[in-house]
Amino acid sequence: MAKFNFYLGAAASAWLLAILIVAAELISQFKTFLANAFTHHWIGKAVIVYSAFVVFGFLLQNKKSILNFSDEKAAWYSMLGSLIIIFLFFAIEFAR
Amino acid sequence: MRDLLLFAHIIAGLALIAFPIIILLYLKKKPKWLKAFSFATAAISWLLLLPSGKLYITFYPATKTLVKAGSWPWAHSIVMETKEHWGLLLPIIATVAAGLVFTGKTKESKKWWILLIILSALIGVMGRVVKIGALK
Repeated sequence: MAKFNFYLGAAASAWLLAILIVAAELISQFKTFLANAFTHHWIGKAVIVYSAFVVFGFLLQNKKSILNFSDEKAAWYSMLGSLIIIFLFFAIEFAR
Repeated sequence: MRDLLLFAHIIAGLALIAFPIIILLYLKKKPKWLKAFSFATAAISWLLLLPSGKLYITFYPATKTLVKAGSWPWAHSIVMETKEHWGLLLPIIATVAAGLVFTGKTKESKKWWILLIILSALIGVMGRVVKIGALK
């Protein structure tokens, strides 16, 4: 894919969202920082994740694979992994 | 204001189920309008953030209090928390799918459109669960 790598932009943003969620829930100061910096932690996560999508999509435009995974597979499994991690994290947090 | 946002939120959410279904039905035929329609679907997924964000930030806190005080506190702690964050990935998924259509990889876009349909439908159901949770 030329000029913009949709796959690796998506992979980066999917993982980053999962990391931001876990960090914000486990480190209250980080959640407060996001809320103070962006008016709300949800907006903060959105701005960071969408910025990562654009930045990594352009930065990795010529990469066809990452860590021996094709960019297509990396994106697909990162997206599914992120969705599952998000659900499981909140389920486990509630059960604790 | 709240009702207007709610209608926009629901209509755009339904479009993210209906439009990809139409795209999937015509994916093999590759009609002329496919790129424009894919672009419109991705655009809707980004625009959806406006009503959903406003509803979540301004109007949801009151509902959240009710849900957490009721007999279904998990409806907020698990369902809403998951929903509000899964929703952030909808524009990424729709943009990847549309980007693949634009770069001629229509076959590869198929599973991303399917994921968009499933995730949008799940998010809709989760919204309904949270609403019921507020009444419990």
